[in-house]
Amino acid sequence: MAISDDIAVVGWAQTPMVRHTDLSEVQLLLRVITDAIEPLGLTRADIDFTCLGSCDYITGQAFSFVGNLDAIGAWPPKRDSHVEMDGAWALYEAWLRLQEGDIDIAVVTGSGRSSTGDPALIYPMEMDPYFLAPIGADPVTFAALQARAAIKAGIADERAMAEVAVRARGKGEVDELLKGDYVREPLRRHDLPPITDGAAAMVLARGDRARELVERPAYITGFDHRTECHNPSFRALDDSPSTRIAAEAAGLGKAPVELAELQAAFTHEELLLRSVLGLSDEVKVNPSGGALKENPIMASGLCRIGYAADHIFGGGNRALAHSTSGPCLQQNLICILEGRS
Amino acid sequence: MIPAAVVGVGQTHHKSKRRDVSFGGLVREAVFRALDDAQMTMADIDAVIIGKAPDLFEGVMKPELYLSDALGAVGKPMFRVHTAGSVGGTTGIVAASHVQTGKHTTVLAVAFEKQSEGNAQFALGSGKGASLGAGGSFAPFIRSYIHRSGAPEHIGWKVAVKDRQNALKNPYAHLKLQDISIEKVKESPMMWEPIRFLESCPSSDGACALVITDEDGGKAAAAAGRPPAWILGTSSRSEPPAFPGRDPVRPQACLTCAEDVYAQAGITRPREQIDMAELYVPFSWHEPMWLESHHLADEGEGWKLTDAGETEITGSMPINCSGGVLSSNPIGASGLLRFAEAALQVRGMAGEHQVEGCRTALGMAYGANSQYFSMWVVANSLQPFG
Amino acid sequence: MPHVVRFVENTITFPYVRSLGPVTGAFMTALTDKRILGIRNGDAVLCPPMEWDPATGAELPHDLVEVGPAGTVESWTWVPEPTLQHPLDHPFAFAFIRLDGASTPLLYAVDAGSPDAMSEGMRVAPRWKGERIGHLTDIVAFVPGEEPEVDGEDLGPASEPVELMDYLASITYRNPVPPTSDLVVEASREHRLVGFLCPECGKTYIGGRGVCPIDSLEFGAEHAIDLPHTGTLTNHVVITPVPYPGQTETEPFGRVFIALDGSDATLGYQPIVDMSVDDIRVGMRMKAVWAPADEAVEDGGGMGGAYGALIGWTPSGEPDVDDPDLVNRIF
Repeated sequence: MAISDDIAVVGWAQTPMVRHTDLSEVQLLLRVITDAIEPLGLTRADIDFTCLGSCDYITGQAFSFVGNLDAIGAWPPKRDSHVEMDGAWALYEAWLRLQEGDIDIAVVTGSGRSSTGDPALIYPMEMDPYFLAPIGADPVTFAALQARAAIKAGIADERAMAEVAVRARGKGEVDELLKGDYVREPLRRHDLPPITDGAAAMVLARGDRARELVERPAYITGFDHRTECHNPSFRALDDSPSTRIAAEAAGLGKAPVELAELQAAFTHEELLLRSVLGLSDEVKVNPSGGALKENPIMASGLCRIGYAADHIFGGGNRALAHSTSGPCLQQNLICILEGRS
Repeated sequence: MIPAAVVGVGQTHHKSKRRDVSFGGLVREAVFRALDDAQMTMADIDAVIIGKAPDLFEGVMKPELYLSDALGAVGKPMFRVHTAGSVGGTTGIVAASHVQTGKHTTVLAVAFEKQSEGNAQFALGSGKGASLGAGGSFAPFIRSYIHRSGAPEHIGWKVAVKDRQNALKNPYAHLKLQDISIEKVKESPMMWEPIRFLESCPSSDGACALVITDEDGGKAAAAAGRPPAWILGTSSRSEPPAFPGRDPVRPQACLTCAEDVYAQAGITRPREQIDMAELYVPFSWHEPMWLESHHLADEGEGWKLTDAGETEITGSMPINCSGGVLSSNPIGASGLLRFAEAALQVRGMAGEHQVEGCRTALGMAYGANSQYFSMWVVANSLQPFG
Repeated sequence: MPHVVRFVENTITFPYVRSLGPVTGAFMTALTDKRILGIRNGDAVLCPPMEWDPATGAELPHDLVEVGPAGTVESWTWVPEPTLQHPLDHPFAFAFIRLDGASTPLLYAVDAGSPDAMSEGMRVAPRWKGERIGHLTDIVAFVPGEEPEVDGEDLGPASEPVELMDYLASITYRNPVPPTSDLVVEASREHRLVGFLCPECGKTYIGGRGVCPIDSLEFGAEHAIDLPHTGTLTNHVVITPVPYPGQTETEPFGRVFIALDGSDATLGYQPIVDMSVDDIRVGMRMKAVWAPADEAVEDGGGMGGAYGALIGWTPSGEPDVDDPDLVNRIF
């Protein structure tokens, strides 16, 4: 039995992406799920499978995801799961589930609010518990070290990084930005992601059901994710081998993509990922602004897939979306979406 | 769907504190046992699916990141599920899905908890005082069951004794209470009235790992004299935490989940066609409750099965021959241990706690306030009913 | 006037204790002796040492070798504003330091004084704490130069092998209080018990839950209804407290379920007031107990519980309701 390419993204929605939300996670999810399914004429009763992506530690409460069940319409009881990962991986689980062929519609979500705690204090807790967490080794420090490696390898430079920032946010002047102080040399404020609160929900449908729901489904023709060893000390930071392997396994090499949405939270990451994926200059990278513009933790990757799907809905043929987790792009996911004539 | 089979099972020696091992060391102990059982190495594994309960238990956020290389997952997919107490079960189901869909040939399912590094009661209460603990949430459900069914008070004690005596036959089990008895259980301190200390699960450090492979791999293992456990059905259901009229004693999600997994496995008469079950029983009274909501006993009759000794290893409906959650409870792993023990039974590899002639077995896990349910049915052949 | 969402701060603190295992344990023990260890991985030497080969996951023989103490900075970044978790409280560089004899770099702090003093290829050596416990921070920081230093009096190596490590995790969160929770808490100050009536399914939700999970409907002030302060005790639990950081209880305490009069709502896990746990009976008539109007109130727990000015429940003095089946009313 081969993996079917007849499973498609048929719609998605996101909450307003704000610096700081007044809404609880349940409220965010309740609204965004409704926003994703209503335009398709679906109700929660039509959803065969839900998979939520969220992280207890970001929310600050063990079992925080249990309360999120209130948002999905779990009565009568639902086929439902949860991953402690970005919604992009929740989509992966749902996609696999739909491959089993017995159900037709899945909804996945990614939710988190990063304004609730200080990322510099929370993220060290995902690092090696003996050698890195105890010294508060934070994500910006690791990003800076990877940026240095990328610059050394000629894949990035501070000017190119500033240009990425300007393009992503649609504002700013490169020369002005380059006058700013370093936050973590060589990274300046503009090289870092914003703090964003928000959530996203996506609807996945199988075969004929997908074609009943929308005119131009965004078919998932390739979907893969890979991890690398954890400690950046043991890795060559001027490369992202797991991205390369995932892209190959997802079939990137089979045909060109018109658009790529990359979950690059730091400017140098966009340049590094572009290089590793071998994207030509014709490929539109992060027209949404990417994670540098809005970075809702645990939903950022799912949003990349959403924007890539939008490209297909709008008539595009082939798009790539990427999500990542862990220090220095430790784990990477690639999703390839296609339209059909 | 491609038939999938469990060809390797591994678990740690579960203890209250595994201070002899590091975080990675604990998980690897189970993983290498599973790989050895399957006569494979990490190189044979295409993807790793890992599950555990809240990271607050150990203070290591997203441990799949730290454990990527420990699990030989470099260059491979690594996936982390989390569905509260049922997570171990969900891990098995999602892992099986990777093979059944044809995405991968052989995968490793791993679930663990090193909760002695933290404090479970603390984590369950999110660090606040007057934590209910798990028992505190379930005590009212149990009280309701006892009233509804008219069950005599000794049923809980009987289950507590049975499971710990079974544990004496399981080399990996945490609790080894050689002199467990009805008297001892009855006289143990009251924890969450009506649940007594010896009717409650321990807090354990432990890990469990399964190697799951496709039809060809299962057949090859069988031909080599290492019988696999064929996965006939998997199912999950969730229901909301609370709404007026919700019944947590006979939860709809459990009833529906069981019906679904039986249908997949071709089971129409569960009481006869299932030869044993590993049910997630963290407090003794969950045994009769789950017997009923898994359609293994009629409503109100579950306790009679227990009382008549039918749930003993030699009974007509053996439950938790491994000693169950009552004897070992590394929270994140407990669900996968149920699935693993069910697999061992149909492979004829449960040693001293083997149910004779076991062809089919049910593994079940639940989580939160009896909201999340994950189940699988395994068998010693793809067509156990002919 | 639109509702202004309130935020509450909540700090989760826990003193984790980690067991190190044989390799990290040996490393930490050696730190107390001012030695830094790596582990052989084929021809390479890994520092920090791991139990497994990072590339393949293969178990490594415990072939530990001393590296450093001095090393070369391979890469670095300046930290102008250290966090509370960082090893130094003044600006420093985080650097990848390849200790002499190691094949991989160790990430650590370099106390160089200013970013101008940092460069790739510079030599650094450890400055050790005088009192070492077997923790990575036994190294205060690396400093420019070849020679290790010791801060203060050198108290020597640990007398026993180090097997454990403390890790104090403390994170402070600021979370919004949903308007429905606030509405309920505010109403409680006026000694009003407020629930939300779902217009679709007709069920009443209590305890500040802002959503009907059956209809996925978000409640607003328009759904609020006042509920009676009296009800009948249906189910209960008596909890014997266990100690843990943050525990507040020392004696067995009761939590009861109250079926509110004239409503399908049941309040779960409610504290009891002026009442012994031994007196709890199904069918008891109970009434709400409120904090004095001027007393500060808390927000209530996530798994039911009292909230706001609602402190708990006490017998109302009426005769019991004779209905043993009430025990089944949990939700």
